[in-house]
Amino acid sequence: MKLTEEMLRQIITEVVGQMAGGAAAPASAAAVDTDKPLDFIEKGPAQAGSNPKEVVIAVPPGFGTTPTKTIIDIPHSVVLAEVAAGIEEEGLTARFVRNYQTADVAFLAHSAAQLSGSGVGIGILSRGTSVIHQKDLAPLQNLELFPQAPLVEAETFRAIGKNAAKYAKGENPNPVPVKNDPMARPRYQGLAALLHNKEVQFLDPQKKILEVVQG
Amino acid sequence: MVSFTKDQIADIIRKVGDGTSPEALESAVKNVLAKLQSEGLSAPASQGGKLDASSYPLGIKRKDLVKSATGLGLDDITIEKVIAGDIQFDDIKTRPETLAYQNEIAKSVNRPNLANNLARAGEMTRIPDARLLEMYNFLRPYRATKQEMISMAEELEEKYQAPACAKLVREAADVYEKNNRLKGDR
Amino acid sequence: MQKRQKRFEVLEQRAVNKDGFIKEWDEVGLVAMDSPYDPKPGLKIENGKVVEMDGIPCAEFDMIDTFIANHCIDVNVAAEAMAIDSLEFAKKLVDINVSGAEIKRLVPGLTPAKILDVLKKMNVVELMMAMQKLRCRKTPANQAHITNVKDTPALLAADAAEGSYRGFQELETTVGIARYAPMNAIALLIGGQVGCRGTLTQCAVEEAMELQMGMKGLTAYAETVSVYGTDQVFVDGDDTPWSKAFLASAYASRGIKMRFTSGTGSEVQMGYANKKSMLYLEIKCIMITKGAGVQGLQNGSISCIGVPGAVPGGIRAVLAENVATVLLDLEVASGNDQTFTHSPIRNTARMLMQFLPGTDYVFSGYSGVPNYDNMFAGSTHDSDDFDDMLVLQRDLQCDMALRPVTEEQIIAVRNKAARAMQAVFQEVGFPAITDEEVEAATYAHGSKDMPDRNQPEDLRAIEEFLKSGKTGLDIVRALHKHGFQDVAESVLGMLKQKVSGDYLHTSAIVDENFNVKSAINDRNDYMGPGTGYRLEGERWELLKNIPQAISPEDI
Repeated sequence: MKLTEEMLRQIITEVVGQMAGGAAAPASAAAVDTDKPLDFIEKGPAQAGSNPKEVVIAVPPGFGTTPTKTIIDIPHSVVLAEVAAGIEEEGLTARFVRNYQTADVAFLAHSAAQLSGSGVGIGILSRGTSVIHQKDLAPLQNLELFPQAPLVEAETFRAIGKNAAKYAKGENPNPVPVKNDPMARPRYQGLAALLHNKEVQFLDPQKKILEVVQG
Repeated sequence: MVSFTKDQIADIIRKVGDGTSPEALESAVKNVLAKLQSEGLSAPASQGGKLDASSYPLGIKRKDLVKSATGLGLDDITIEKVIAGDIQFDDIKTRPETLAYQNEIAKSVNRPNLANNLARAGEMTRIPDARLLEMYNFLRPYRATKQEMISMAEELEEKYQAPACAKLVREAADVYEKNNRLKGDR
Repeated sequence: MQKRQKRFEVLEQRAVNKDGFIKEWDEVGLVAMDSPYDPKPGLKIENGKVVEMDGIPCAEFDMIDTFIANHCIDVNVAAEAMAIDSLEFAKKLVDINVSGAEIKRLVPGLTPAKILDVLKKMNVVELMMAMQKLRCRKTPANQAHITNVKDTPALLAADAAEGSYRGFQELETTVGIARYAPMNAIALLIGGQVGCRGTLTQCAVEEAMELQMGMKGLTAYAETVSVYGTDQVFVDGDDTPWSKAFLASAYASRGIKMRFTSGTGSEVQMGYANKKSMLYLEIKCIMITKGAGVQGLQNGSISCIGVPGAVPGGIRAVLAENVATVLLDLEVASGNDQTFTHSPIRNTARMLMQFLPGTDYVFSGYSGVPNYDNMFAGSTHDSDDFDDMLVLQRDLQCDMALRPVTEEQIIAVRNKAARAMQAVFQEVGFPAITDEEVEAATYAHGSKDMPDRNQPEDLRAIEEFLKSGKTGLDIVRALHKHGFQDVAESVLGMLKQKVSGDYLHTSAIVDENFNVKSAINDRNDYMGPGTGYRLEGERWELLKNIPQAISPEDI
C-alpha cells in the first residue's frame, strides 16, 4: 500500500476537524461496506465477571466508528465476529467492553483480563494490534502478542479467540503461529502513528470502561 | 564509611533485635571491623586514598580488593570448585565494598550520576532478589499510596541501611502525589 | 493523465516508493527536530535549585521536568554553559582543538531546549565529526540481534555462535512467544561464548522478567529498559523516571551492566507528543538516562524508525539523537537495528551516519539472522548482507567490528553451539534437542530449515525451570559434564564479571581474554588527524583479507 497525498489529506482533515470539536463528517462520502460503523450499544460501567467460562475483549473508544476497519481493511464487525467465533468454538462466551482510559494494547488487554471471570482477556486496537492477557501477569507481559497489525488477518482473530478460550479453560495450547514481516514497518509505521494519534483523541478518563453489546 | 557484608549486617540486626546489650553490640561491631581490616577489606576512605582510573580495571589491577559477597577472591572461583559443588550462586554475587570502589572510580572520572547509581546499588546488595523486585514493581505508576511509599522508604533506611535508595523513594512519593501517579489516581 | 511518461512508470516501481512518507504535522509532534511548539532555551536557578527551565516555572513541572531538574542539570556549571551562544557551542563540537572533556564539562549545565538549539545548527557531516570526537569508548564495537520466528533453541545457539565469531561484542535476543524468554537467554549465553569468549548477551522482554533473568545469571547485561519523553507515554510504558532509576540501581547491585533505550518518534507513535518535535523529546529521554546514573543508552529511534524516517530531516534527527547521547557522556548503542525502508540505497545511507564516525555499537542490533527471523521486526541489514559489510570496511578502511570468516569455521562453531545446547537441555530438564535439530541448525539459513518443536512442552518446561531456582552455575555444570569444558569456563568467566563490577562503567565490553575495555581504560582521545581510533596495523591486515580477494600469486 502506498500513502497518497489525497489519503493523507483526508485523514488529516478528518482528525483536525475532530480536534476542533466540529461534528466530524462521515469518514468517506463514497462509503463502502467496510466503512459502515459498528453498531455498538454502551450498557454502563463494566463489572468484574464471575463466570469462569467467559473471555473479555476490550477495544479502544474509536474502535468500530473511527476507523471502522483494521490497517489491512478488515471490518471491525468481522474482527469481533471472528474472535467471538473462536471463543465459542471452545464452548466459552465472549463479553465486550470499551475502554475509554487507554489506547495502549497491553493495558487494554490487561484491563480485559482483570474484568474477565476466567482471568483471560483480549485487547484489540483499531488498527488490529492484539494481545491475549492473563490477570496475574504484569501489564507489559502477555500470553500471546500480535504486534504487527498488518499481519493480523481474519483467521488470526479467530485463532486468537480460540487460544484465549483454551487458556481460560486451563489448557496449554499451541501458540498461534508467530508471523513476522520486516517490511511492515517501512510501509505502515508512519500511517500507524497517524491512526494512533486519532485513536487517543477519543479517550475520556471520566467514562472509564463500559460494557458494550452489538446492536 | 564502613560497609558490611549481608551476613554481618544480618548478624548485627539479629543481636539488636535479641535485646543484646549495647556493649555486646559494640563488641560485635568491633569484631567485624577488626576482621575486615585484617583482611584488608576496610572501606577505601579509611585507607587514606581514594581509588581512581589508575586502579581500573579492579579485576586486574586491584585483585586484592575484589571479593565476592561471601568473601571469595576472583582466583578462588574456579571451575573445579563449581563442579565439586563447593561454590554456590550466592558465592559469586557482588558485594557492597566492590560497588563502593567502583563508585570512587566513577567519581574520579567525572561521572557523578553514575557514582550515585552505584551508591544506591551498593545499598541494594543487602536486599534479597524477591524483595527488590517487589520494591521496583511498587514504584511503578499507580501501585502505591503515598503512605505506603513512605513506609517503604523507612524499610529501606531501617532494615537495609539504604538511605540513598530511601531518598529516591521519598522524592518519588512527593512527585507522584503532585502528578497523580499514586494508587487510585487512575 | 492518459499517457504515462515511461521513466515515471519505472520510478514508480522502485523500492523507495513502497515506503510511507508523511508531511510534517506540528500539532501532534510529527516533526523531526524543528517544531514551532518546541520551547525556547532558558534556565533560572535560585539558591542552587532550578526554578525555571525552558520557560516552564518549577511549579508547573511535570514528572520528567522534575527529574531532569533534580538529577541531571548541574547547577554549578549551568550559568557558564547556558551563556554560550548556541552557534558557538555547536562550533566547539566540531573544533578539533576543543577536547571532548572540555565539552563534557559544560554540557551538564544545558537544558533540553538548549541542547536542541545547538544540534539544530549542525549538518550531518558536522554531527558525524562530533560523534567521532565525543563517543566514550575509543574502539568501536557492534551488536547483533539473534532471534527466530519459531523460538527454536538449537538455531538460536548456532546463530549466537556465528554472531560472536564474526565479531559482534554484544548479542541481543527477544521472543516470538513471551514465555520463551529464559530458554532464548540460555541459547545466547551458550552460543555467544562458543563463538567468542567474553561476548555479552541479553534477552529483551518485560522489565521485571528481564531483571529476574539477569539475577539468575542467564544474561550478562540488559538494554530494553525503555524511557520516554512525555509523562503520559512514560506511564503507558508502566514506569516513571524514579521507578526506572531504582531499576537501574537494582541491576548494578547484582553486578549487571545495563543501558536504557529510547528513540525519536516513540511519543508521537504512542499518541502523546504534546506537540513537541521528536528530537526535543528524545533529548529529555537522554537527560533522564543521565540523571538516573545509567552508563549508556540505546537510541537512534529504534523500533519507531518508520516515524522519523517518514518525515523531512528525520534521519538527520536520528543521528543528532546519537550525538546528544555522547554529548552527555553516555555509551551509545546507535540504532540501525530496525527496517525502515524498502530501498537498499536509503538503508545504507542511513547506516553510514554511524558507521563512518564510529560509535560504541554501530548497530544496536545488526540482524545476525535473516530478516524474516528477526523478531525485532527486522533490522536495517541482515545475515545476507555480511559480505557487503566486510567489503565496506575494506573499501573505506573503516571498522564496524566485523571480521572475515570461512565457511568451515562457521560450520564448526555453529555445530559446537548446537551440541552444547543439546547437552544443557538434557541436564536442566528441557525437552530434548534431537540430533536432527543439531544438524539442521548447523547448516541452516534460517528457521525455515528447522523442524518444528512441541511448543506447549517447551513452555511447560520453562515454567518448571523458573520455579526450580536454577542459575547460570547449573549451565556451567551441565556444559562441563558433557565435555564442553572450555564453554563452561567461559560461562563462568562471564558470571565472574559480576563480582568485579568493572563492566558497570561507561561503554564497557569484554574481550576474548575477559579483559574489560571501557571509556576509562579505552578512552576516546580524538583530537583530529592522527589521534583517536585508527584502523591500522594487525587489525587492518585482518580486514583487508576477505576470502574472495584474488592474490597476485594465484594468477
